[in-house]
Amino acid sequence: MFRPTPRASGYFRTGYGQDLALLQTRAERISLAIFLLILAGFPFVASPFALDLACQVFLASVGALSLMLLTGYAGQISLGHAGLIAAGAFTTGIFAREIHAPFWITLSASAVTGIVLGFVFGLPSLRLRGLYLAVSTLALHFVVIYLGGEYETKRGFSTGILVEPPSLGGFRLSGGRFWYFVLLAAAALSLLICINLLRSRSGRAFRAVHARETVAEALGISIAGTKLLAFVISSAMTSVAGCLFAYYRGFVSVEAFDLFLSIQYVAMIIIGGMGSLLGALLGAAFVTLFPYAIEALLHLLPNADKLAGDIFAVNYASFGVVMILFLIFEPLGLVGIWHRLQNYFLLWPFKYRPLAGARK
Amino acid sequence: MSEALLQVEKIEVVYKRVITAVQGVTLSVGPKQIVAILGTNGAGKTTTLRAISGFLGLDDARIAEGAISFEGRRIENAPPHDIAARGIVLVPERDKVFPNLTVTENLAVPVSRASAAERRRQDEQIYSLFPRLSELRQRIGGLLSGGERQMLAIAGALMCRPRLLLVDELSLGLAPVVVQDLTRRLLAVRDELGIAILLVEQSAAAALTIADHAYVMENGRIVLDGDREKLRSHQDVQEFYLGQAGGERRSYRAVKQYRRSRRWYG
Repeated sequence: MFRPTPRASGYFRTGYGQDLALLQTRAERISLAIFLLILAGFPFVASPFALDLACQVFLASVGALSLMLLTGYAGQISLGHAGLIAAGAFTTGIFAREIHAPFWITLSASAVTGIVLGFVFGLPSLRLRGLYLAVSTLALHFVVIYLGGEYETKRGFSTGILVEPPSLGGFRLSGGRFWYFVLLAAAALSLLICINLLRSRSGRAFRAVHARETVAEALGISIAGTKLLAFVISSAMTSVAGCLFAYYRGFVSVEAFDLFLSIQYVAMIIIGGMGSLLGALLGAAFVTLFPYAIEALLHLLPNADKLAGDIFAVNYASFGVVMILFLIFEPLGLVGIWHRLQNYFLLWPFKYRPLAGARK
Repeated sequence: MSEALLQVEKIEVVYKRVITAVQGVTLSVGPKQIVAILGTNGAGKTTTLRAISGFLGLDDARIAEGAISFEGRRIENAPPHDIAARGIVLVPERDKVFPNLTVTENLAVPVSRASAAERRRQDEQIYSLFPRLSELRQRIGGLLSGGERQMLAIAGALMCRPRLLLVDELSLGLAPVVVQDLTRRLLAVRDELGIAILLVEQSAAAALTIADHAYVMENGRIVLDGDREKLRSHQDVQEFYLGQAGGERRSYRAVKQYRRSRRWYG
């Protein structure tokens, strides 16, 4: 993939410190500041419905980022993502319900659950590849859902576990705006973790193992260790997303974590663009908002109320069509379109970059 | 040679528990020596190299007999990253760079415990050995030409601070000028960094310009070995590997017959 390299012409790094800086130029700093301002101002002008949508996008972003780390960078396919979210949500639900554990305990318990599950279900990746690995990760989903269902029925929470909003120093932390900022912070923190992880030795090892396992091993990288690390980190992040999901919804039930959710997460990273964190974010937003967009479109049609019963079917079908269209016409996903746009404007009025020698 | 860096002793490599690919191969690489293994396709050169670097397991092969020792320690059938950690690094035949990583990132992949200052010095050393790479720092591996990839692969291997470099088919798919340039750089690697090199080559002409010692493999065995001058003047090598037939060219059939007789009697 050709990324637009000359972010700013005439800008050259002159020290190792500049290589490490997250934001390279003033333009980048300013645009980030404006973006953050918009995000901060959004909850004060948005309707409760829009606020809820934004929260869903942030939650999905955390999950999509962690799946991108595992699949898009380390090359390990997983269909157990919904299972991991469920694991985090159920850990939170059970801890909150049984021992009235505070927020910080359930959060770390969820992370530990994720680490353990990631390790155990990462083990097959040492032997299996591609489709076979995907099938083995399905087992994770079924195990978690089975255990969660058993817990629900044994304890008599047949409709689901209610989770009380967390409290801090006597204050009950609830309300749409509050959660908007919590989830925004969670998504931003996940993004920062991912960015820095990918710039580190482990991150390079992920991508190296993805691209050429044998060469990576010849250069002294432990394949088993790298794969397991990818699974563990990704699962821990996903599980934490599950914990936040439980608090945000105030309710945990196995119905919320069907296999379709796993497919949706895989769809996010495909539609967004494999091997790009920005892609994970774009994909999360796209897949989360897509059904609402379809619904809104259906309402615009004449005699919309007659179609109300078909909304689900239309949703699923159009989701499938969009997936197919992306796979055929834009395998690089939304981020591919974004890079193409950037290049178009960077190179304008030219169409292509000139031959390297022509500069002299 | 008792003070050899790498000593391969009568190894036998068996694929899938039935097929013998290499038998009774004995070779040694001394410190700061460049050694070449020559031979046609299927002679067992790459198998020997994989046996040394530990990559046999991937193809369901193993060393059934014999011993390989490096700096006095036995390493046969050890896992590849372990062997890399001991100081033997392989530059594979193809698929040798990470296409999704930039040149800088490619060079940062190898595991080394060097400090930041040490790494920086190492970076400068690599870029002075391969100035072309310093112009391509931000280019991703997948967009490099064949010669640049080979340079990057060798540079990446050097980042592991090896004491022995294994190079599989340096000249594969490269223009003769590029091969000449690369062999000269390998010589510089040996002379400046003091790293021993074991080359596997089909192109005897290229290998015999820099190798101190060479082994000729045929059909899974070593059939000939000696120093550069001996091999260069050897009639068989001249005829079959250097393509300098003395007088009229022999027909393919004649060559095959000659080979068969060697196999039976030699």
